Amino acid sequence: MTTPGLDDATAELLAGSLREVLAEGGDLAAALAELGWAEVLADDPARATTLLFAEHGRALAHSRVLDDVLLAELAGALPAATGPRALLYPLHSDQPADPRGPLTGLLLGGLDGITEVVVPTALDAADAGDPADAGGATLRILPAELVAAATQPVRGFDTAAGWLTVSAAPAGAAGPATPAGEAWTRAVAAGRRALAAEIIGACEAALAIAVAHTSARVQYGRSIATFQAVRHRLAEAHVAVESLRSELTVAWGSAGQADGGAWAARLVKLRAGFAQAEVMRHAVQVCGAMGLSLESELHRFVARTAALDLLLGDYHTLAEQLGTELLAGAELEPVVAI
Amino acid sequence: MTTTTASGPTATEAAVTDPAVLRDDLDAYARGLRAWLASEPALDRWRGRHYPNTEERIADHGLLMGVLFRAGWNRYGWPESAGGLGGDERHRAVLYDGLAAAGLPIPAPHLMLETLGPPVVHFAPELAAAYLPAYLRGEQWWGQGFSEPEAGSDLASLRCRARREGDTYVLSGSKLWTSHGATSSRLVCLVRTGTPESRHRGLSMIMLDADAPGVTIRPIALASGENELAEVFFDDVVVPASNLVGEEGKGWAVAMYLLQWERAMYAWLSAADALRRLRDLRGQVATRLAAGARLPDGSAARLGAVYEQIIALRARSAATVRRLAAGDTVGPEASVDKVLLATVEISLFDLARDLLGTEFVLGATDEVRAWRNEWWFSRSATILGGSAEVQRTIIADHVLGLPKEAK
Ligand SMILES: Cc1cc2nc3c(=O)[nH]c(=O)nc-3n(C[C@H](O)[C@H](O)[C@H](O)COP(=O)(O)OP(=O)(O)OC[C@H]3O[C@@H](n4cnc5c(N)ncnc54)[C@H](O)[C@@H]3O)c2cc1C
Repeated sequence: MTTPGLDDATAELLAGSLREVLAEGGDLAAALAELGWAEVLADDPARATTLLFAEHGRALAHSRVLDDVLLAELAGALPAATGPRALLYPLHSDQPADPRGPLTGLLLGGLDGITEVVVPTALDAADAGDPADAGGATLRILPAELVAAATQPVRGFDTAAGWLTVSAAPAGAAGPATPAGEAWTRAVAAGRRALAAEIIGACEAALAIAVAHTSARVQYGRSIATFQAVRHRLAEAHVAVESLRSELTVAWGSAGQADGGAWAARLVKLRAGFAQAEVMRHAVQVCGAMGLSLESELHRFVARTAALDLLLGDYHTLAEQLGTELLAGAELEPVVAI
Repeated sequence: MTTTTASGPTATEAAVTDPAVLRDDLDAYARGLRAWLASEPALDRWRGRHYPNTEERIADHGLLMGVLFRAGWNRYGWPESAGGLGGDERHRAVLYDGLAAAGLPIPAPHLMLETLGPPVVHFAPELAAAYLPAYLRGEQWWGQGFSEPEAGSDLASLRCRARREGDTYVLSGSKLWTSHGATSSRLVCLVRTGTPESRHRGLSMIMLDADAPGVTIRPIALASGENELAEVFFDDVVVPASNLVGEEGKGWAVAMYLLQWERAMYAWLSAADALRRLRDLRGQVATRLAAGARLPDGSAARLGAVYEQIIALRARSAATVRRLAAGDTVGPEASVDKVLLATVEISLFDLARDLLGTEFVLGATDEVRAWRNEWWFSRSATILGGSAEVQRTIIADHVLGLPKEAK
């Protein structure tokens, strides 16, 4: 690498600015433009992305900034945009929608101001001119107003994410299908690394709430953080977050490969899902009734990280997928070198 | 899929033999090592090998160290003054990883070498110069005498005494659970030189010959039947005062220094070996599946999860090894590595046990016997070198900064 990268002081400054903007619920896109984010990102993609998404998670922000990450990888495989784009995410893991039926998926926000929606779909055998593409994805582009007509706001576990589900968008209205080649694989890998960072931020915030609560709360004449059962749960949560952080650093190490470092990115998404489950389970328990009521902020992190886990593959599904491939003979890659 | 290992060695790669280059250029060392591991026929004798007992295993592993020493590979990472060829912890980490990737065992004596070598090199360079070369050659190894019958997790309560008499110390008391104790040539012991109440302030570290007059060693078998451990009795054993590792009364500081390697290098080394064993397990399961066996529900997901846990441990401990190599002090945060390591060991060998199923319980082949022995040994991951509970308490105290535990 020849780029100098972000130094600690600059990173701290940027994190502070992002934290302010996100806390005020301001316009993230405008704030990023003002910070000269494109340059920061070009200079040190790993650190910049991790910083941005960790703050996004910590602030429980909702925006379409993840779209930018995936669309940047897909751009080369797509015709020139006629206006602002959004991405339709698969409902299940990284499996693109079946183009033969009505299209379903997830949007990270409303489509106001969006012109076209990029829809990854499973590759039809007929489309796969090059057999090497078989099993991959094709990208289709739908006019935003057609997709908008098929959206419903998510009223599930995390009502604050601002996501929309799309059911039954008319696939027929899509323009020509472009084989995505490895672009979709790369986009998923990049998205998984960003989501892992967002989960780190949310987990850190939840753990901080639990540490503060248990240190202040007194029972039996002493702070409940002096009870070993409580301390050990918090220690385990810390281990989960730290292991995720290390694995994310490693996952960035292979991001420059042709497939975008897909193998390591899948591993880190799996770890992120596991880590959020671990952190939230312990945090909720040690906060007592407070932890499961609307009186505390904790529930927001529980719901948000559950939603983030789902996006581009939840950890149960990823573990099963990975194990099945390993049983079928996939190489047990060492991934990490000294 | 990512590939971190290069393909076959080329002529130029194999040609680097200049120790100064291998010392200063870690990539050249890694390439040279890989090429040698792939091409040295003498190594085949250690692949997929099973032993009737631990004593024969460790002796044969000593011979493997001799082969590694003569070719130079296990001398990197240790100072020239102690029989090494220079370099740092990263060389040692690359060696362990390379051995495991080549289907070879990491020689058992290297475990204690990683724990005891660094403090002896640092605090007692003349002892390192005298004894470490023979260790690296695999001719002898050392035992770590910390735990005692009444001092386990609460190590600072230990009572084995060393009283000063002229130029010597006279040891009396006992040590328990000494790994490789029955076959070790030398023991590095934490002993009490202060008053019985002095806790960690009155401790000293000292090295002594295992066959010194007054030393009695009783092997102790793990539940597998393997003599992995020993109890050591000291009956007025006279040890030269020059055998102190660090100053008198500073034993606790030496022990804390040692813990950095015991937690970090052991984690990396174990992760390397865990990946090799997961590969073995996958192979054995594939054979069984081909013969029509069914796996228990959820096996695939567990296999995927264990593999990912090993990679997470590698990610964490590689960073710690690099910090050690850079000369950083690795503090209480090394407990994170230890917790991750214990999780890997427990889940890997539980998975092996469950996937092997009936075989694990009833089978009598060498392979299954090895899995059973290792299953028992894996249970020690949450006990030895600071139990799972002790590690969590360290994180709560020193990393999270929680108020101190209720007494
Ligand atoms: C395979 C193996 C190899 C070993 N090799 C060596 C060696 O080479 N040299 C050496 O010196 N020692 C060695 N040991 C000993 C090891 O270091 C001790 O077993 C360890 O320090 C724990 O001590 P203990 O077994 O006496 O358990 P105890 O201290 O009695 O603990 C028993 C249980 O109580 C829990 N416990 C204790 N205190 C607390 C607390 N404050 N809070 C919560 N829970 C607590 C522990 O976590 C554990 O679960 C080895 C042990 C094994 C199993």
